[in-house]
This record gives sequence, C-alpha cells and structure tokens, in this order.
Amino acid sequence: MTSYLRLEVLRALRDPKYLILAVLAPIGFYLLFATLFGGQSTGSAHITVQAALMVSMSMYGAMWAVMSATGPRIAQDRTIGWTRQMRLLPIRTANTLIARLIAAVALAGPAIVLVMLTAVFAKGVTLDDAWRWAVLLALLWLGSIPIALLGIAIGYSIGPEVAFGVLYALYLALSALGGLWMPISIMPSGMQAVGKLLPSYRAASMGWRLIGGKPFDASDALILVGWAVVFSLVALFFASRRANSR
Amino acid sequence: MMVRERKTERRADSDSRDTTDATVAVRFEGLTKHFGGVCAVDHLDLEIRQGETVALLGPNGAGKTTTVSMLLGLLAPDAGDVSVLGMSPEAAIQSGRIGAMLQEGGLMPGISIGELLNFVLALRTSPFTRAQLVAMAGLDGLERRRVDRLSGGQTQRLRFALAIASEPEILVLDEPTAAMDVEARHNFWANMRSYTSAGRTVLFATHYLEEAEAFASRVVIISRGRIVADGTVAELKRRAGAQTVHFLADERAQASLSGLAGVSRVERQGERVTLTTNDIDTTVRALVGSHVDWRNLEVRSPNLDDIFMALVSNGQ
Repeated sequence: MTSYLRLEVLRALRDPKYLILAVLAPIGFYLLFATLFGGQSTGSAHITVQAALMVSMSMYGAMWAVMSATGPRIAQDRTIGWTRQMRLLPIRTANTLIARLIAAVALAGPAIVLVMLTAVFAKGVTLDDAWRWAVLLALLWLGSIPIALLGIAIGYSIGPEVAFGVLYALYLALSALGGLWMPISIMPSGMQAVGKLLPSYRAASMGWRLIGGKPFDASDALILVGWAVVFSLVALFFASRRANSR
Repeated sequence: MMVRERKTERRADSDSRDTTDATVAVRFEGLTKHFGGVCAVDHLDLEIRQGETVALLGPNGAGKTTTVSMLLGLLAPDAGDVSVLGMSPEAAIQSGRIGAMLQEGGLMPGISIGELLNFVLALRTSPFTRAQLVAMAGLDGLERRRVDRLSGGQTQRLRFALAIASEPEILVLDEPTAAMDVEARHNFWANMRSYTSAGRTVLFATHYLEEAEAFASRVVIISRGRIVADGTVAELKRRAGAQTVHFLADERAQASLSGLAGVSRVERQGERVTLTTNDIDTTVRALVGSHVDWRNLEVRSPNLDDIFMALVSNGQ
C-alpha cells in the first residue's frame, strides 16, 4: 500500500497544475486579500483579518490538492485501463483506494503549511500558543478528508472529460458558499443556511474557532463526518458497479 | 524444443479425464456470459493442465477477451464456474500465482518505468530484483523513461514485466503482440519463451496462426463463444484437410491429375494448377512419380481462415 501511495504522490507532484492551483494560487490570493482587507475588523477582537484569511486560504488550497489528486485521476485511470490493470496485481482494490485517499490528504499538507508560513512571514500573523499551529494544521488536514472522498466519488461516477470541470465547479462553489472568500456573515440568510451545511465551511470553522480562542464545536465534526459517510457510500456504490461491468 | 515435443505427446496420451486436480491449472465449466441479447461465451468447458502452452484462437468477436476476462475475475460469469489452481480467480491473483497481460491494460501516467517496477516489486509476492525483471522483460536502458512516453512495443514489454513480477505459475496474455511490429513481436516471444521454459502454464489469445504454431503446444479455436476445435496445430491442419499443391503444367498433361492419390479437387487456370489434398505426402510422391511435366511446385498449408472456415462449415 505504501508503495502505491508513493506512486500517487510522485505523479501529483510532477503535475504543474498541482503546484499552480493548490499551492501558488492560495498564497497569491492570501497576499491579495490580506493586503486589501487587512485593516478591517473581523467582528471579533481576538482575531485579525490576516489570521482568519490564513485559515480560509489554507483550506482553499487543501481542497484543490485533495480534489485534483482524486477525481480527475481516478476518472482517467478508469478510462485508460489502469484501474483494470491493478486488479490483475496482488494488491486489493480497497487498499489502493485507501492509498489514494492518504496520498490526496498528504498533498494537502504543503498547501496548508505554505499559506501558514506566508501569513507568518509576510503578514506577521501570530497565534496565542505554539501548539495551536499544530492543532490548526491537524484540523484542516482532517477537514480535507470529506472533500477527498467527494473527489473519489466523482472519479468513479463520471468520465475524465467532465470530471475535471465538475470538480472545479464544485471547488469554486464550496469555497464561495463555504465562506472561504468572504465571511459567511455578510451573505444573505438563505445562502448562509446552505453555506453552514457545507464541509468547506465546517472545516474552516474548526480553524477559525481554534485561533479565535473559542471552544471546539461538536457540530462541525458531526457535519464533516456525515459528509464523509455520504461521499464514501457514493464512492463505494460507483466503484463496485464499475468493478462488475465490462 | 525437446521439452515442447514431450509436452505435446503427454497431452495426446492423456485424453482420458483421469487427471487429478493437482495438475489442473485452469478449468472452465459451463462458462456462459451474455451482453444484452448477445451470447459472448456459450457453455464453454475447458481444462488446461499445468505446463501446457495453449493458444486461444478465433476471429474478432469470438469471445476470446470475454473468456480471458472471466478467467481473471474481471468479469463475473452469468453461469458456470472458473477455477484457477483450484481457487477463485481473485484468490489466484492475490496470491500472485496467475499473471496477466491485457490488450488494453493502460498504465499509470506521470511516473517512470523504474518507479512503476518498484511498486510491483514491493508487492509481497515478487521474488525478483528490479534488475532481473528489467532483463527478463527487455526493458534495459528504459528505466528512467516516463510510462506515458513509450512506443507500443515498449509499453507491451512493460506490461509483460508487470504480468511476471510475482513469478506466476500461469501466465495469461490477451493479444499480446497486436500493437507490435515484426521485430518487437519476435523479441517478445523470445522473452516469453525464456520465461516459460521452466514448465509454466501459458494461455494466450491471438488471431495470428503463426504465433500459435510457433509457440503453442495446444490450440483451442473458439467461434461465437463455443469451442470448435482443440488439438495441436498439426492435428487441426489435418482435420481442416485443406492443404494444397500449386504448380504450372502444360495443359495437355493436366487430364491425368484427378486420378492422383489423395487429391480431392483439381482447379485449373490455363497452365496454373491447384490440387487440394487430404494427404500431402502421398499426393506429392504420386506427382513426382507421374509423367506430368510440372514446374514451380509449391505446397501451401491452410491459414487460420481456411482452418476456421473448414471447421465451422463442418457443421459444428
């Protein structure tokens, strides 16, 4: 399984789209937004715009890292026959799926950490305690798991020509409605209600609460686990259906 | 060569079905698969013993790929049973005892040959080192090459490497040389021959009769999902009965030809004569002993199309 994990990571790191969209774009947006809106209030005395945006843009990058490492690649592998070829090797399909998931989540790491470093060194963001950095990284990392499962579900359900486009559209919608581009509090109430159900919002929300010194909210975790279960079931449904077709 | 001849004999001797399960590599029983209303494989029964090299021959659409897919557990049969070394296909693959090379087994893009080989070698079943595998598959000097930048022949060699990485006892190949030029095809069979010289079992689907003839100890011909013939190439040619003798002869001398031993049919076009015979040796001897003044003698064996047409039209 680790040997397959290594292949998936190598393949993603060599794809310039990963570097540009999952790593460089969030850093660029962070610098832009933090500079434009840096002086404004976040509605909480405890947390600066620069720090809140750091969480948003970390999640924004992490999301694309996990989505691009799963959906389009799985769809492509199915079409070219690599998925089929792997069924002829002594490795279980479940293990390759787990390896894909771990690889995708691992690829979110650089996206998160590099936005954090940019925030610290370019915008002087600080957190109250050093341990909060580690917990923040862990929370955003865990929060990207449901998104990775969404990518896997898309990869098994649709073809490679449309998988990239569908995922990119979902990515933008999840980011915008999930409050990663602008605070969810300034949206109309209907949009807010939808946004607060999204995994993108809930993952970032764990981060915002942590750096804002608020207690952990179990509903964030519950909603994320709920999405993870839903996306896993969809992925398993399509993966097993593909396995039985020609 | 000696080994292969002995294998053929053993097969011919053991027509009685007294073999124990220990020597059976592959067994299909009543294997059936439909796609929509089309019956791709129709109650197929076949037993392949360990050490046999079997060519699965047939025209496109005969059901070769469907049969191979069921053998490998990629497709579930509608009815019937497949067993590989007494196990299910899935179990045989997980244990590394069967390896396969598909017609369109795509390979992961974006990585190098060496990296892909490291992956298959890390699977617990592989006994080889990377250098051994590279040598066996003829991939020398290509390890740093990207998988998505290979020629058709190189890709096939890489697929071959993946197929043999776990040192399987049974090797299954679906049209292995379809994308290769003549030289690549030749090299491929050379690698193949050295891998299988240790008594391993091979089943390969092809539509090249020459490959079946050069490599297989047994040929199974399928048509519309059913077995229409099963035997050595020589046996099948004999059964097809369609060997022909071609030569040129003076038109006045041609009258006596139909009386020659073994001749079933005489065709004439000016000087050009074609004799169809059931017994090529007898006919040629008779022709040499006759008074016919022939020149440019040529003996032709039936090709796959001829054999196939003969077998199918024999009411099977």
